[in-house]
Amino acid sequence: MNKRLVIRLQSSILLIEAAAMLPSLLVSIIYRDGATHAFLKTIGLILLFALPMHYFSRPIEKNLRAKEGFVTVGSAWVLLSVFGGLPFVFSGLLPRFEDAVFEAVSGFTTTGASVLTQFDDAPRGIMFWRSFTHWIGGMGVLVLTLALLPQMTGRTSHLARAESPGPSFSKVLPKMGDSAKIMYLIYAALTMLQFVLLVFVGRMSLFDAAIHAMSTAGTGGFSNYGSSVAAFNSSAVDVIITVFMIVFGINFALYYRLLIGDFKSFFKNEELRWYLGIALFSIVAVSLLIMPQYGNFFSALRYGSFQVSSIISTTGFVTADFDLWPSAAKMIILLLMFIGSCAGSTAGGMKVVRITLMSKNISREISKTFQPRKVQVVHLDGKGVDNSMLFQISLFICAYVILTLIGAFVVSLDGRYDMLSNFTACITCVSNVGPGFGAVGPTRNFAGYSTFSKYVLSLLMLCGRLELFPILVLFHPDVWRKG
Amino acid sequence: MRILVVGDGKVGHTLAENLAREEHSVTIVDQNESVLHRSEDTLDVMCVRGNGANASTLMDAGVDKADIIIAATASDETNMLCCLIAKRLGAKHSIARIRDPEYNESLNLLQRELGIDMAINPERATALEISRLLRFPFASNIESFAKGRVELVEFRAHEDDVVVGVPLRDLGRKLHGLPHVLYAAVERDGAVTIPNGDFIIRAGDRVHVVADMVTITAYFRFLGKNSLRVKNVMLLGGGRISYYLAKMIAPMGIRVSIVEIDELKAIALSESLPDVKILHGDGTEQEFLEQEGLKQMDAFAALTDRDEENLMTGLYAVRQGVPKVIVKNNRVAYEDIISAMGLDSIISPQSITCANILHYVRARVGGHGTKVEKLYRLVNGKAEALEFIAREGDSYIGVPLKDLNIRKGTLIAVIVRKGRVIVPFGGDHIEAGDSVLIIACESGIGDLNEVIRK
Repeated sequence: MNKRLVIRLQSSILLIEAAAMLPSLLVSIIYRDGATHAFLKTIGLILLFALPMHYFSRPIEKNLRAKEGFVTVGSAWVLLSVFGGLPFVFSGLLPRFEDAVFEAVSGFTTTGASVLTQFDDAPRGIMFWRSFTHWIGGMGVLVLTLALLPQMTGRTSHLARAESPGPSFSKVLPKMGDSAKIMYLIYAALTMLQFVLLVFVGRMSLFDAAIHAMSTAGTGGFSNYGSSVAAFNSSAVDVIITVFMIVFGINFALYYRLLIGDFKSFFKNEELRWYLGIALFSIVAVSLLIMPQYGNFFSALRYGSFQVSSIISTTGFVTADFDLWPSAAKMIILLLMFIGSCAGSTAGGMKVVRITLMSKNISREISKTFQPRKVQVVHLDGKGVDNSMLFQISLFICAYVILTLIGAFVVSLDGRYDMLSNFTACITCVSNVGPGFGAVGPTRNFAGYSTFSKYVLSLLMLCGRLELFPILVLFHPDVWRKG
Repeated sequence: MRILVVGDGKVGHTLAENLAREEHSVTIVDQNESVLHRSEDTLDVMCVRGNGANASTLMDAGVDKADIIIAATASDETNMLCCLIAKRLGAKHSIARIRDPEYNESLNLLQRELGIDMAINPERATALEISRLLRFPFASNIESFAKGRVELVEFRAHEDDVVVGVPLRDLGRKLHGLPHVLYAAVERDGAVTIPNGDFIIRAGDRVHVVADMVTITAYFRFLGKNSLRVKNVMLLGGGRISYYLAKMIAPMGIRVSIVEIDELKAIALSESLPDVKILHGDGTEQEFLEQEGLKQMDAFAALTDRDEENLMTGLYAVRQGVPKVIVKNNRVAYEDIISAMGLDSIISPQSITCANILHYVRARVGGHGTKVEKLYRLVNGKAEALEFIAREGDSYIGVPLKDLNIRKGTLIAVIVRKGRVIVPFGGDHIEAGDSVLIIACESGIGDLNEVIRK
């Protein structure tokens, strides 16, 4: 393995993290929240760590192979989370290291599961940083690195591929740097639009609007209020956030198609149609199921649609305690946690395109059992899909479920909570949603788990965000062997 | 520049690799998913799967905004159709690989009617290259610049060459009458150096010298290398290259014999090349080659479709004492190993095709300042020779070279002014309109202003 190159890239990524702390530092200074020293200390530590790494690892060979790409992405995210957690420790908000790491991982992976119990007097700079990790974690830290550093190495596609969600990775422009730039521009523009709407239509304060816009954009779910978006109790806010949660669950490459005037491929996109179809069906079904609890259809629709789009986009904001809903509605929520949103968005889950292709593949297998000679190619967007791709998708779905089950078992060793809580805690972490059911339900949090379980859940979040393999390769002995 | 490469074979991939490295936005179109995966993995390019002659595939690949489309699929017809459609859809320039000799005869008409700006025939281009080597057998490679006024010649230094063992600055003093040429680059053990005055040439070095044609000829005559004139050539393999080559060199008074293993093919060749001696037999049989007078040949070219066969018979010909042996080899990667075995003139149709297309593309790189007129890769691309035209208003115009900042690892080899070749010294200067030949150890230079600054 080309260790020098991997180390070099890690140092660049850490330096970008230090730069990413500057806005939070600024917020901390403006509001005089007393956490300024926490950011200064963290930035200092990162520089102390990353600068020597940078200067003593001039790569001899600049070729990045698949192995190095995966190892770089996997270990970069671990490092990012460790350093990203330090402001929580230094500010005294989360003095225990495992809590800080959990919170940072939850931030970068856009999960939004929290161990924070004190919201009222929390330093504003720290709260801003918490949501800012959602924002850069959503589109990807390495994608940001690719956008900012021109010609980092010759072969960068492995990095973006390991970090971008979805079964296949496609650039919107021939050059990786240009692609990454245009993606971040679209992302930033949409975030800005939501921020403006939240301020002027939702009547939020600038700080609240910034926090919620960034958390929505990354489909993260951190709020600066203990009761999440319910704290605003405003239907305007609910509607804006509902719409934008769905918007950020759509493949960003499609927004680029819109931007260049190619409306046809936007509206004809199969994954988008499935995604919106699933969302619409769930909203209607859930709203009808919970109508008896809320009395009239419109408030049922308001709370139903918010919760559904929050879960399908794997954001995890809440305005109602869905743990109290009828079990059919709860079941829909649970299924949505597995599915997630579109590939190439900021959301987690298995991704709608995988579910789509898996369903088509199953239906093909069924028709093959009674028509053994039938030859049929699975299509997506009018193009044939390779069998190897279908195989990979089946494998991914299996691995996803197995990982969740193993995680649930390991977390159960705690002996603190019931099966449903442990299971949904794991699925909500792997899918980067945030809330689960029972002890980790919408109104509760993850503070009660043991130190060991918090590390396990952090690992699950990283696995889910990077779509398993970049993290799992780190545990494969061959990767660390020479040659 | 936005460039579309249709066909992800050896040529397509190599082109995409070079163009992407030169900061162009490259999109590759091919029908085969697995070759696209390879390109996507190793290059910073975009890949589109589909038929290159299909308008909707081309639109997906962004043909309407493309500056250049290069059609390099295996099929001539697809390439022509692809260029035709691409031009209609808005591509600005089109390049097609057309290899069938039948099309070649009506190439001008086809090019005009289909809007193909450049048609390249790899076999013909290869034959042209070989014919040049046969005319100057002392060289293992020749490239001409400034409309043929300047030649860059590569040769391997032998123990008994007089230039070996003397520092370059003392050559003129020690060897009276040695014509003055520029030592542009020397390859030793796979590494390339741009030599200075203290450099000493050793036996086995591959030396690149630059000068005008007359000086070069005189130089090699001084070294005693120019006694050889090719009169008898044996070509192994009766493919298209041999056909084109025989057509080119037979009228020059060179006696050509072609060895072809397939009888029908041999007969067909004899039909189309009445002046050429066609031999039917297996070229890997040593006895057969000896019988046909391999030892008496001035030059031997192994041009079959199989690299291994070409290499082995090439080595055999060297052993038999044939003074000039040329070997066709498609796998560029092994060039170092082959040249270590004593075969100097290795020819690859793919690299020749790529080089020709790259010349064309580079000449169309717009923008400010000067642009590359011609680019030639030395020693597997470890160094480059680039030709520029100096433009009015650039900062280096009229300033003596010794007062200019010249980029490290680059050398101003030759200045051509109004047809006169100047091998420059510190007191010389560049005037607007001059052709300037630069030798550089790195690739990716696109502008003379990047190399010299005031």
